Amino acid sequence: MTTMARQVCEYYVIHPLDDALEEKRTGEGLSRMQMTPSVRLSLLALRGYLILMTGLVFYRVLDLCGALAHHAVH
Amino acid sequence: MNSADRAVTKEVPAKGRIVTSRWKRQVLTYLMVMGPGLIVMVADNDAGAVSSYTLAGAQYGTRLLWILILLLPMTYFVQEMVARLGIATGQGHAAMIYKRFGRWWGVFSLADLQLVNFLTLVTEFAAISIALSSMGVSPYLAVPVAAAGLIVIVVTGSYLCWERMVIGLCCLDVVWFALAFACKPSTAGVLHDSIVPGLPCGLNSALVFLIIAIVGTTIAPWQLFFQQSCVADKRLRFADLKWARLDTFTGATFTILVACCMMMVGDLAFRHHIPFTNDSNAAQIANSLGPIAGRFVRNGVLVLMVNCAVLGTTAVSLSSAWAYGEVKGWPHSLRKKVTDAPGFYAVYVLCVAAAAGIVLVLNDRQLQAIILGVQVLAGVMLPSAVIFLQLLLNDRELLGDEFVNKPWNNVVNWAITVVLFGLSLILAAQVLVPKLFPS
Repeated sequence: MTTMARQVCEYYVIHPLDDALEEKRTGEGLSRMQMTPSVRLSLLALRGYLILMTGLVFYRVLDLCGALAHHAVH
Repeated sequence: MNSADRAVTKEVPAKGRIVTSRWKRQVLTYLMVMGPGLIVMVADNDAGAVSSYTLAGAQYGTRLLWILILLLPMTYFVQEMVARLGIATGQGHAAMIYKRFGRWWGVFSLADLQLVNFLTLVTEFAAISIALSSMGVSPYLAVPVAAAGLIVIVVTGSYLCWERMVIGLCCLDVVWFALAFACKPSTAGVLHDSIVPGLPCGLNSALVFLIIAIVGTTIAPWQLFFQQSCVADKRLRFADLKWARLDTFTGATFTILVACCMMMVGDLAFRHHIPFTNDSNAAQIANSLGPIAGRFVRNGVLVLMVNCAVLGTTAVSLSSAWAYGEVKGWPHSLRKKVTDAPGFYAVYVLCVAAAAGIVLVLNDRQLQAIILGVQVLAGVMLPSAVIFLQLLLNDRELLGDEFVNKPWNNVVNWAITVVLFGLSLILAAQVLVPKLFPS
């Protein structure tokens, strides 16, 4: 790397993209997050809620688009 | 200590910038770190936001400004967590969900994100089509040209090139201040309505939907994925966290102020008693303001609507491409050339091209249904996305003491999650039972 001498008490700033890579906390080697039973149960309920709502929204959008001809909304 | 943040004692790498004072170093470091926070916030004021805010102004004047002011800390606290997670892990949000919650949640989050993002992209191109049609440009010319431009700014193979172009587009939003000034809002009224909460005309169906649309458009799921991936792609360092926070706060403040200006522009229509419904869009409001406020306001709103849609499109498409690349394990970086990250760029191009194509074939009724679907799906997804964010930020095993949430972070962020969940449930109930609130 090209370098140059500088006086003390000057500062240099390096753009993040030009700087050396840091060792990040990537979670490599960690297993899945440890959760209490209540958190696990809450996430299970959330999973059901999201699946149900996504399905209902789809139905509603198709209905509004007129794709469900027997029950089109005016 | 990070190399960006230490006094020079012996040698300086050739790429470092030399400064002679502490404050110059801080300003320069901030300018170098700035980007992800500003872009995610300004892009949040996309085409849907322009319609929601101007429509709120046109229907209720400045009476809902207090909601925007309340949204400033909410949006900042949520995005600050994302920036912190991105800097700590150097990875995107989709990758972290996949790693820490397993395959099911990883795939589900990705699928939901792609779906909402794609529908959002359709609404962005619809806005481009509507705004430019109002200015006499054919949609069959406007939409393909916009799509081509959006692809060109990303495929340069340079993160900095993309970031600088997008920050340039973000800066165009300052014109909203001139437009708001040209509409001559009442200063006393604006100050009063910014501080004193109130629900004009009581609680009714249209108002509830509009409030939820305002909240939903200000804090959207794609923002979480976008900023974390952007922070990771820019390779922000641990020492950059305080500057990333400032970047996020600056962006949030600028965006909320611009949103207030949009509402003030709509307020002009309200003061002239021009009626609008929840189905109206910003182009209709701009056209109605032409005879009252002149061509500057009319054309300004239309051009800025296109700019907001372009910003929204590039950010939403990138959040999709980054997330897909992270989960698939493909190379996914704006620093890479197209040939080095073909899957990442292919997802971006596919999102943009497909959304642009669909807009040209759908009719108004179908587009309206998609706009409704986007608002509801985003409203349903957002609280769960914030819950995962909260869980990740409490993952001491992953983040250690330095980056994990402090107790006060948890109090604030769980409160935000509860509010968002409440609004999500109301929205879901209202869509399923349209006559839940009086009309």
